[in-house]
Amino acid sequence: MGEVILDVNELTTKYVTRFGDNIYAVDHVSLQVEEGKSLGIAGESGCGKSTLALSLMGYYFPPLHYTSGDIIINGRTITGMAPDDVRRTVLGNDIAYIPQAAMNALNPTQKVIRFIEDVFDAHKMHMSKKEVRETAEGFFQAVGLPEEVLNKYPVELSGGMKQRTVIAISVILSPQVLIADEPSSALDVTSQKMVIKMLRRLMDGGYIKSMIFITHELPLLYNVTDDIMVMYAGQIVEKGSSKEVVLTPLHPYSQGLMGSIMVPEAGLRDVKLLAIPGVPPNLKNPPSGCRFADRCKYVMPICRAQTIPLREVAGGRAYRCVLSPEELSEAHAREVYASHAK
Amino acid sequence: MKHMLRQVFRSGKFVTGFVIFMAIMLTVIIYPLLITDHPLSIIGQGTFFPPGIYVNVFDSVSSPAYTIMLDDAAAKRIAGRLNDEDREAIREWLVGAGVADGEIDIANTESLLGLWVNNYDSTANVAGMTNADRNYYIRLNKSLQVLLSTEGVTLAASNPETGALEETGTVEPTQYVNVREVANVRLLPLGTDNFGRDVLTELVSATAVSLRIGFVAGIIATFIGLVLGLVSGYMGGIVDDVISFITNLFIVIPGFVLLILISFSIGQERRGPFVIAVVIGLTSWVWTARAVRAQVISLRNRDHVNLSKLSGHSIVHIISRDILPYIASYVVMALILQISAGILAEAQLSVLGLGPRTTEEATLGLMMNWALIYQAHILGKWWAYFPVILVIALIAFSLNLMNTGMDQVFNPALRD
Amino acid sequence: MKGYRLYFGKKVIWFFVTLAVAFVLNFTLPRLMPGDPVAAIVSRMAQGMSNTSGVQAIYEQYTELFGTNKSIPEQFVLYVRNALRGDFGYSISQYPRTVADVLRSSIFWTLGLQLPAILVGWILGNALGALAAYRRGNFDRVLLPVSLFFSSLPAFGMAVILLVFFAVSLRWFPTSGGYGFDLIPNLSLTFIWSVIVHYQLPFWSLVIITIGGQAIGMRSMSIYELNADYVKYSRFMGIKDNKIVRYVFRNAMLPQITGLALALGTMVGGALVAEVIFSYPGLGSTILTAVLGQDYPLISATTLIITIMVLTANFGVELLYGFLDPRIKAAQAD
Repeated sequence: MGEVILDVNELTTKYVTRFGDNIYAVDHVSLQVEEGKSLGIAGESGCGKSTLALSLMGYYFPPLHYTSGDIIINGRTITGMAPDDVRRTVLGNDIAYIPQAAMNALNPTQKVIRFIEDVFDAHKMHMSKKEVRETAEGFFQAVGLPEEVLNKYPVELSGGMKQRTVIAISVILSPQVLIADEPSSALDVTSQKMVIKMLRRLMDGGYIKSMIFITHELPLLYNVTDDIMVMYAGQIVEKGSSKEVVLTPLHPYSQGLMGSIMVPEAGLRDVKLLAIPGVPPNLKNPPSGCRFADRCKYVMPICRAQTIPLREVAGGRAYRCVLSPEELSEAHAREVYASHAK
Repeated sequence: MKHMLRQVFRSGKFVTGFVIFMAIMLTVIIYPLLITDHPLSIIGQGTFFPPGIYVNVFDSVSSPAYTIMLDDAAAKRIAGRLNDEDREAIREWLVGAGVADGEIDIANTESLLGLWVNNYDSTANVAGMTNADRNYYIRLNKSLQVLLSTEGVTLAASNPETGALEETGTVEPTQYVNVREVANVRLLPLGTDNFGRDVLTELVSATAVSLRIGFVAGIIATFIGLVLGLVSGYMGGIVDDVISFITNLFIVIPGFVLLILISFSIGQERRGPFVIAVVIGLTSWVWTARAVRAQVISLRNRDHVNLSKLSGHSIVHIISRDILPYIASYVVMALILQISAGILAEAQLSVLGLGPRTTEEATLGLMMNWALIYQAHILGKWWAYFPVILVIALIAFSLNLMNTGMDQVFNPALRD
Repeated sequence: MKGYRLYFGKKVIWFFVTLAVAFVLNFTLPRLMPGDPVAAIVSRMAQGMSNTSGVQAIYEQYTELFGTNKSIPEQFVLYVRNALRGDFGYSISQYPRTVADVLRSSIFWTLGLQLPAILVGWILGNALGALAAYRRGNFDRVLLPVSLFFSSLPAFGMAVILLVFFAVSLRWFPTSGGYGFDLIPNLSLTFIWSVIVHYQLPFWSLVIITIGGQAIGMRSMSIYELNADYVKYSRFMGIKDNKIVRYVFRNAMLPQITGLALALGTMVGGALVAEVIFSYPGLGSTILTAVLGQDYPLISATTLIITIMVLTANFGVELLYGFLDPRIKAAQAD
C-alpha cells in the first residue's frame, strides 16, 4: 500500500441557481487515491461526476459552492484555506485539471508559450522567460509535441495537438493529483488511445503522482485505472477495484452501465445492450430513499422508504443497495443469460 | 411551442416590453373609436396652442354665474398675469426710484405690489430710463390698476336696430362659472401643432400609420431575408456564393443612403406611406438573410434533416418541417427588430424631407418634420415634438426589450 | 507574414468590388425610375428655381453630363469618369456653385463630427458593457435597460432633447450651426472657440446613442466569453482573476470591432439626420437643402460620397482587425 495522496471525506458541494435553489450535485462523497494509483469515476452525464471533478479542486466560484467535508492532499487540508492561497499553492502544484472540452481550453488569441508564462507567473515561480521556455520544452517533449507548438496560436493546432498541449500544460508544475475529465470523449478511437497512453506514461515517468479519470464509458476504465467509483445522482453507488466493478458489477446501475456497451473482453463478448431506461432524477428535489429506485429493475417498496447507506464489502469494495452482493450477482447473471438467450 | 411561449412570458424583460407595446397598440385602436374627429382637421387658428382645457369665453358669459368669495382670488389673478419679465422691470424701477434692493422680493407678489402702489409715480424721472421705458411702465401700471380694481367689467351688445351699444350685464371679479355648464369646452392634452391641429389626436393616428409602415417594412424585409437565407444556406454551392456575395455587399453599402436615393428618385407624387414602407423593406433584409443562412448551415447536416433527406422528402417538406421550426424563434426576433428599424427609418427619412407625401395621414416622422420646420424646438413648444420622440423611443424600446428577453430565453448563456 | 498579406489582398479586392457596386447603384437607381433623368431634373427645376438663365445652363450641362442620347454603357463610363475627376456638375439649388464645391465645404464637418463621436461612443460603450458583464448584479440590472432605452432613441431624438435642454433652456450652448453665424472661418482663437462650443451638443448626442448599442453588444460578447472553456481552464491553472478578465475582454472586443465595421452604415445614417437638427454644416444638412431644393445632382453626389466614406472606414477597420486578431493569420494559412 502506497502513501495516500488525496483523501476526501464526506465532501458536499452545491449549485445555487438564479432562482436561489440549492442543487447538491456532490453529496457526501469520500474517496482516497494512493501514490502511483489511478481512480476512475464513471456515470451518465448529469450524475455529478464532472461536478465532483470541479469540487475536488478546492477552488469554488459561482454557481458552485462548497458546503461541507474535507479535501486533504499530502496531509494538508485545502478546504477552508483562503481562495487566493488555494489558487497560488494548490492549483497546478497539488492538483491539476484537464477539462472535458480540451479543444477550447486555450485562449484562442494567445500564443501557447504566453499562457505558460502566465501560469508560472501566477504561482510566483520567479523564473525568467528563458527558464520557462526550457521547462516547457521539456514537458512538450515528454508528451511528444514539437517545440514549435509553443510559438503557435491554438487555432493553428489540430485537435489532437491541442489535446496534448493542454495535457502538457496541466502537468507542467508536476502535480500530485491529475484530474482528467473525459479527456478523450471528443476524440476518435486512435486519439483516445493515445491520450490514455500518454497519461499512463506521465504517471510512469513521475510527472504526476496519481490520477483521477472521469468518463461515462465504464468499460473504458478497465484498462486504464486501478480502482473505479460509480456515481449516480451526486452519490457514490459503488466502488472497488477496476476488475471487480467491470467484471462483477453489484449495483443495478453499474450493471446497467456495463451492459450499455459491448465489451470486447473474453467471456463478456456476447453481452447484448442492456440500456437503462429513464433519466437521472432532478437533484433540486431528490427522491427520498434510493435515488435509482425509479429506474431499477429490482425495485421494492423498501427502497423508497429508507435512506440507503453505502455498504462496505471486503477489500475496500462498497455499494449502495438493499440487496446482498450474492442476490445482486445472481440477478445480474440471470439478466445476462436472458439477453444472451434472445 | 406552448412551452416556449410560457418560457418567454416568464422573462421580465419580454413582459415589460410586451405590455408597453400592447398599451401603444390598444391606444391606437381604441382612441379613434372614442374621438372620431378627423386627425388632421385644422381646429386652431394660429400655431402651437399650449396644452390645456380650452373654455369658450362667449359661452362662459351666458352660463349661470356663481359668486364665490375667495380671499386669494385677487392675488392669484395678479400673480397669473404678472410674468417674470414684468416683475424684474418693477424691481428695476423701484431700485431706480430709491427703494433698497434688499427690501424687494420679486417672488412675493403681495409685497411687490404693495411697494409698487406706494412708490409708483408716472411723472417721476428715474435715471437711465428712455421714453419707451416710461411708456412701458405707464402701460404696466394701467393693467395692474384694472386687475386690482374690485369693480366688474361691463358687458355690452350692439343693438341691431340702432347700432348703439347697450349694457347687457356685468361680470364681477367674484363670479364663477361651472365648467360643466359651459356648452363648449375643448380639452387639448397636448395642445395644437403649427397648423392648429390637435396634437394628441394627430399623434395617435400618426402612430398607427407608423406602426403600419413598420409592419409592412418588417414583413417584407424578414420575408426576403428568410427566403434568401434559406435558399443560400440550404442549397449551398454557387447559389450560396451568389446570394452571400450580394448580402455582404449590401451589409457594407449603407442602406439608409440607398433609401435616400430611392425615395428621392421616386418623386414626391408617388411617395405614399405604403411605398415608403416597401422601399424600407427592400433595403433592410440583409441582416436577416445573413443570420438565417448561418442558422440553416448549422442545421443542414443535423441527423433529423439527413433522415428526412434519406426518406425522400421534398425540399419544401424538409425546409418547412425540419428547418423552419428550429429557426422560427430567431425569425420572430428578427421581425421584431425589423419593425422597430422600419419605424425609425421612416422617421429619419421624413426629417430629411423624404418621407411620405400625404395630406390625409400623418406619420411620426412627418410630425417631427413639421415641428422642426416650424422651429418648435427653438420656440420651446415641447408638446409638438417631445411626445413624438417619446412614442418612437417607447415603440423601439418595447420591441428591443421583447427581443432581448427572447434572446435570454433562447441563449441561456446571456441569462442573469 | 504571408497570412496577413493574403488577408489584406482579399480586403483590398473586396473594397474595390464594393466601390464599383456603389458606383453602379448610384448610377442605376435613379435611372430605374420611369422617365428621363434630365427631363425629371428640368421639371423639378421649374418648381425650385426662378433664375431662367441658370435653368438653361444647367439643362445644357446635364444633357451633356448624362449624355442621355448615348447608350447606357457609354453613359456609365462618362459618369464614372466625371465622378472620379470630382466633376458632379452644378448644384441646382445653389447655382452657380458646383456640386463639388458644396461637398468640399461640408465633408470636413461631417468627418470631424462623426468619426470622433463614433469612436468615443464605441470605446465608452465597450467599457461600460464589459463592466456590466463582469460585475453583473445591480450595475448590470440598471445599465442594460438604460442602454437599451438610449439605443432605442433615434439619433435625432437625442439631438433634439440635448438641444432643448442645454441650448434652449440652459443656454449653455448655441442652438445651431458649426460656428457663430457672425464669424468668417479662419484660424483665430474666437473662431476655434466658437467651433468647439458648437461642436459639443451634436458630438455628445451621437456619443450617447452609440454608447447604448455598443454597451449591449459588448455585454453579450463578454458574458459569452466569460463562460468559455478557456476561462475555466485558466482558473484551474491558478491564473489570477484580473489576468483572466484581460483575456476575456480582449477576446470580446475583437467581434465588437467587426461589429463596428458592419454597423457603420446605420450609424452614419442616423448621425446625418442628427446633423440636420443642429443645422450642422455637414453632409446631412446638405442632403436636407438638396431635398428641399429638388437638387438631384447634389443628392446623387452626396449619397455617393457618404457611401465611399463608409466603405473606406469599413476597409480601415477590417485592416486594423487583421492586425489585432491572430486567428485571421491562421485562417488564411490553411
